[in-house]
Amino acid sequence: MKNPYMPMPVTIETIITEVDTDDIKTFRVVFDHEEDAAAFQYLPGQFAEMSLYGTGESPIGIASSPTDDGYLEFTVQKAGMVTSNLHDSDEGRTIGLRGPLGNTWPLEYLEGKNVVVVGGGFAFTTLRSLTRYMLNDGNRQRFKKITVIYGARTPGLLIYKDELAAWEKRDDVDTHITVDQGDDTWQGREGFVPTICTEVAPSSDNAVAVICGPPIMIRFTLPVFFDLGFSKENIYTSLEMRMKCGFGKCGRCNVGSKYVCKDGPVFSLAELDDLTPEY
Amino acid sequence: MVKKIERDRIQDIAAALMEKGTLYAPVEDEEGVNFHPVDDAARVTLDFYNTVQGPKCAFFPQSDELVRYRMTHEGPEAVEVLPDESPQILFGVRPCDVRSLAIMDELFCGGGVVDPYWKNRRDNTTIIAYAFDIVDPVDFYGSFDIGAAEETGADILMVGVGGEFLLDARTEKGTALLAALDGFDDAAEGDKKRFAAAVKKAGALETRRIDTDGVDRDLMDIFDSDFWQREAAPCLNCGVCTFVCPTCHCFDINDETLFGEGRRVKTWDSCMFTDFTLHASGHNPRTKKNQRLRQRVNHKFSYYVTNFDVISCVGCGRCTRFCPVNIDIAGVVERARKRAASERTE
Repeated sequence: MKNPYMPMPVTIETIITEVDTDDIKTFRVVFDHEEDAAAFQYLPGQFAEMSLYGTGESPIGIASSPTDDGYLEFTVQKAGMVTSNLHDSDEGRTIGLRGPLGNTWPLEYLEGKNVVVVGGGFAFTTLRSLTRYMLNDGNRQRFKKITVIYGARTPGLLIYKDELAAWEKRDDVDTHITVDQGDDTWQGREGFVPTICTEVAPSSDNAVAVICGPPIMIRFTLPVFFDLGFSKENIYTSLEMRMKCGFGKCGRCNVGSKYVCKDGPVFSLAELDDLTPEY
Repeated sequence: MVKKIERDRIQDIAAALMEKGTLYAPVEDEEGVNFHPVDDAARVTLDFYNTVQGPKCAFFPQSDELVRYRMTHEGPEAVEVLPDESPQILFGVRPCDVRSLAIMDELFCGGGVVDPYWKNRRDNTTIIAYAFDIVDPVDFYGSFDIGAAEETGADILMVGVGGEFLLDARTEKGTALLAALDGFDDAAEGDKKRFAAAVKKAGALETRRIDTDGVDRDLMDIFDSDFWQREAAPCLNCGVCTFVCPTCHCFDINDETLFGEGRRVKTWDSCMFTDFTLHASGHNPRTKKNQRLRQRVNHKFSYYVTNFDVISCVGCGRCTRFCPVNIDIAGVVERARKRAASERTE
């Protein structure tokens, strides 16, 4: 019997500081053992417990795509003890990983549909995984039009800047990057994500919106999508909760009868409507 | 196969059982009587109504080692602490507590991922149940069709009759253990009748009962009701209800390090504590005590039913007995149902 509490050793290969406030970093890790790498079969939307002996574990969304061979990426905001310790890491450090955990973005459901990806601030990690996955040469034809709307408070707080720039040059993805407030060098859009969504006005015809962001962004973005005709069945989001085990035993991440760790983190708005309003 | 032994030779039973594996038995400690791994047979007692805590510690210790690690300059060296597979005997468990183990199996062995620490101990444990002969007024296990001498889930059922304990095996595992024990008298034909009579007499004992049919839906109907503010008003959030409960399973995972060596442990936690759900960001979905009491009651009487088709309560009465402000979960459930019914008619 596999012990689900036992982390697999991984080594941090590269660390990228994503933002000018230095508190969001992307960690690229590789498995120390090939059999662990082979066993770690994941899809966009899933997460893993990053494990630091002596400090603890923290559930982090997987930011790389399964189409990325040989490594995993996690974009981590410095918040608590584990993530602070992780931020103090040097490249080459060995840490632990448990997963993959949780459900995935509804990939089968998205097939043959137009997909609108909406992200705000730091909450773009598993959306980046999804977008990378859909834009992969082998997968692109499975999805129709892909629209990405992503915003941050300032240009310096946008994550994955190089990748966003590359997407903007592609003609098979409609990319809209915005900041709440630009600076002297900012040439792009200014405006809140909900406003940009209104301007872009993606059609709800045969379309699914996948939205992650701070609660205030979600609150003002959802009405825009309802007005565009998106049903609650066609809007998906991902929840965060305090977690420990990651597989539905430790009892703390429940929303009603559902556990965010194993029944989520991905839910449609229709599914969320059936849950208790406690998240 | 019925065997018997005099009441004052309880330590002989314990000593015989200790030869067959790790014995978890009721022992007097600073709290009262509780299950402990026994190293001195003389400490085992059956002189209690029920133990302070449920018997979950035999499968899910309050602090359970998962990993041992050592910090080195090259990084941490971690060694998995393998789930224990040695034989155990759990002795003197009340029938309602025996039922709690099957309820916990649903969670720890079901739902996709199996917890090997729980499952291995369960698979390797022989359970000797101990029938009640009186009823405490706070108990309500009868609500769940559990009898005072219920044998479901037990490998051996034990009853006290006069100056003796009579034990009868109920499973193959129980038969094997009972047959291998030295120092017990084989029961005579009359003893078998006394055993059957004692079981029948205990079976006639009545606890208070609450009607639980449809309680899962009723609790969802009043989720947003001010009912919970009133019910939780006296709650101190001390968490004793969750620690004595035989079906409360929530846990934390902690690292304990000293001088570069440490262990990762699974420890009991409680939904009554505000930091149970506190995010690193500071956000907390359950900051208020009415939310936390609601969580505990709903988890047992609604969410668990949705997920596993069984109520996660056995009516042992412990949370009521030990609550410092007399919150009685059976009463809470009954009033919740009345509230749901009255809201339906409004």
